[in-house]
Amino acid sequence: MQYIDYVTLPWYKKIVVRLTKAAKNLGHNFVALISKIGKFLISAFTGIVGGIKYFFSTFWKGDIRTKLSYLFMGSGCLLRGQIVRGLAFLALQMFYIVYMVSFGWGQLKLFPTLGTATKKEIWDEVNQIYLYEQGDNSMLILLFSVLTIAISIVMFYLYFRNIRMAYENQQLLKAGKKLNTIVDDAREFLDKKLHVTFLSLPTLGVIFFTALPLIFMILIAFTNYDKNHQPPGSLFTWVGLENFRNILSGRDVLATTFKGVLAWTIIWAIFATFSNYILGMLLALMINKKGIKFKSMWRTIFVITIAVPQFVTLLLMSRLLDDRGAVNILLGYLGMGPVKFLTDAAIARVTVIVVNIWVGVPYTMLITTGILMNIPAELYESARIDGAGPYKTFTKITLPYMLFVTTPYLITQFVSNINNFNVIFLLSGGNPLALDYYQAGKTDLLVTWLYKLTVNYQDYNLASTIGIMIFVISAAASLIVYNSSSSAKKEGMFQ
Amino acid sequence: MKKTVAILLSILLITALFTGCGAGPKQTVTLKVWGSQEDQAMLTKMVDEFKAANKGKSYDITFGVVSEADAKTKVLEDPSAAADVFAFANDQIKDLVNAGALYEITRNKEKITSENMEGSIEASTVDGKLYAYPETADNGYFMYYDKSVFSADDVKSLDKMLEVANAKGKKVFMDVSNGWYIASFFLGAGGTLTVGEDGNQKCDFNNDNGVKAGEAIKAFTADPAFLTGDDAVLKGGIGGEIAAGVSGTWNAEDIKSILGDNYAATKLPTFTLGSEQVQMGSFAGYKLVGISSQTKFPVDAMDLGEWLTNEKNQITRFETRAMGPSNKKAASSDAVKANVALAALAEQNQFATSQKDVLGTYWAPAEAFGTAMEAKDYSKPIKEMLDTMVSQIEGK
Repeated sequence: MQYIDYVTLPWYKKIVVRLTKAAKNLGHNFVALISKIGKFLISAFTGIVGGIKYFFSTFWKGDIRTKLSYLFMGSGCLLRGQIVRGLAFLALQMFYIVYMVSFGWGQLKLFPTLGTATKKEIWDEVNQIYLYEQGDNSMLILLFSVLTIAISIVMFYLYFRNIRMAYENQQLLKAGKKLNTIVDDAREFLDKKLHVTFLSLPTLGVIFFTALPLIFMILIAFTNYDKNHQPPGSLFTWVGLENFRNILSGRDVLATTFKGVLAWTIIWAIFATFSNYILGMLLALMINKKGIKFKSMWRTIFVITIAVPQFVTLLLMSRLLDDRGAVNILLGYLGMGPVKFLTDAAIARVTVIVVNIWVGVPYTMLITTGILMNIPAELYESARIDGAGPYKTFTKITLPYMLFVTTPYLITQFVSNINNFNVIFLLSGGNPLALDYYQAGKTDLLVTWLYKLTVNYQDYNLASTIGIMIFVISAAASLIVYNSSSSAKKEGMFQ
Repeated sequence: MKKTVAILLSILLITALFTGCGAGPKQTVTLKVWGSQEDQAMLTKMVDEFKAANKGKSYDITFGVVSEADAKTKVLEDPSAAADVFAFANDQIKDLVNAGALYEITRNKEKITSENMEGSIEASTVDGKLYAYPETADNGYFMYYDKSVFSADDVKSLDKMLEVANAKGKKVFMDVSNGWYIASFFLGAGGTLTVGEDGNQKCDFNNDNGVKAGEAIKAFTADPAFLTGDDAVLKGGIGGEIAAGVSGTWNAEDIKSILGDNYAATKLPTFTLGSEQVQMGSFAGYKLVGISSQTKFPVDAMDLGEWLTNEKNQITRFETRAMGPSNKKAASSDAVKANVALAALAEQNQFATSQKDVLGTYWAPAEAFGTAMEAKDYSKPIKEMLDTMVSQIEGK
């Protein structure tokens, strides 16, 4: 359809056209995603097949030193004069064997069951007490198994590198070239491989302190690590997808809670994000308007609210809006009944959104002020000459410009509102509690429910499952919105 | 990391024990003690006396602030990092034992069981095994009232109290949106909380009597003289708008100083169940001292646990913090008997139910029901709400 045809359509047909376009885009994106995954799978498969082929063919083609490196890592380097490199490989192999024999294998062996032996009691006649011999601890087994698997994968990679290196050395020598000495290696790490030198430490940090704990937590979602299975007293084990089934299937109280809390989380995220965005923008527009006096004073006044730490504001608000708080006492003096700001489900939901506006608007105002001042004044001038009113200029110039610049900001806001722990926890604590919910209240977000499940009820498996669901929702929402936003499509336009 | 170190240490310790060659007799005993913020000074004093009484050993005893109410949460976060000796409320004992966090008490068991009240020992026992030292027997609630508003006769029945309060423009305070307090209606109506064979909570608060109790709660919360809130509301309003309130001994000093000569306390009143008057029940709670099952010095930890809860120190607790003793001798002293709040608690305790069979799943649904009542949310019949509450309490 040509643009001219589109413009002449009545408004409801415009909406239909837009929706079909969006749906088409979505379908297109979806197909693209699937084909990307397919391509990745194919390349992974060919990679593995190639690797196996390489593994065996190299063994046939290699000389005795290369062949020896299949058994003793580093032989291909050590026996060809690269002493330090060879010894490093050998030391790693030794370390790995010692680690596996003394510790790793013991944990990995129990990984399929997560332990079976509970603690034993031995009577100590002299002191009249039981001595406890600690049994298996499912949590530690899971933790150390993840560590051992990670170490094994790294080791496997190094083993492959070792073979490759041995064969490459063989080829190099055959071609009459000189092998790298340790000095050459060191020089290379400061020159061609500088990125390796700089990034290895942060990468290791991320792997050990972020990736591994994350994998450990994700695995908990597939166990029954809840309040009735607390190691070391009682052990937990694998339950497959049961937690997901419980949360998603229709009958269970868990499913009711999940649905209710999820629906409210999304409503909350939408309202919290857009109320702040629109009101912040309006505020910025008003202050920016020609003819407004003392602009910087107004701005300062609104920004001062940022100076009060958010949690202080929230705690104060929760005291103020209490059933017997200052606001209700004041209302009482005015002859009006107490309003259940935080104890009636519907009112509490409005209250948290309104208080969030109070807390969040100054930030949007600051951000949008900067952008508004950047919109070229000529655009407005020519619009005025063409006879556009203030509403037209807003919808045709200000809003598109703003959306273009701030879509990524909106997405981060939306996702952070899905996970907006502070406002809910400090203001209402998720209350009022609901009878038909499992350990959750009517203003609980998924993330505060998760908090209650972990800290108060030790239902770690459910918490982990919910965590995964939150991730899926946030990731999907961000990707879809970002990919169909003009910021992503017209990326090059403003550069 | 801590865990690895802890495991290595315990392995070392066990080998040391079994090979019998351990370190010298002057080995330093390192213990960590958890107690509430308000108890810290008192605990330090008690521990100093403990050190003085055991001159033969060298101790390194440190303190941490974890209140009795938070103990379970903190201990279960990481049992290997928990304190060796910690105070907790007795409703947490089941979960703690379940997680293997408590050391069975076998040293001087006879002495402990004979010196403390039966109820407190029962509250410290799971499956016939003693798992903690009773510390106090005052974790319960009763009725404080203003003598200038209510006569001793008025406070015998809830209906009469509400009538008088309405006539005088006063309020009767009770935190109904709290599982602990709301239970008094159900328990008074003969409801029970038990632990089933599958380890889940069993509850019959939705039977005929339970529904009548629910109706009584509905009527009470709908009364104009009814007032709810937390401790701060009670302490802020008593003597003024609030003429009577249900609370426990921890507020005794404050309420006494506000009410002065009008200060009085008694058992909970009776309420109308269907057509008859029945006595409100309550939870009898105890504070206990437990030993971590992962302690490196079980013998010393137990000695310290016993020391902290012996007769002398229970009296110290009463004197410094007005906590009711569970030790029989300490409880029968004249000073304890003269305490108005503790006397009221003792009176109420005849109608009290032990809290040890109450599991963690009870609290939130009970609170949710109370919240609905306070919000006057009558969208569903009481019976249906109680059915939901009970199915929630009994776990999925």
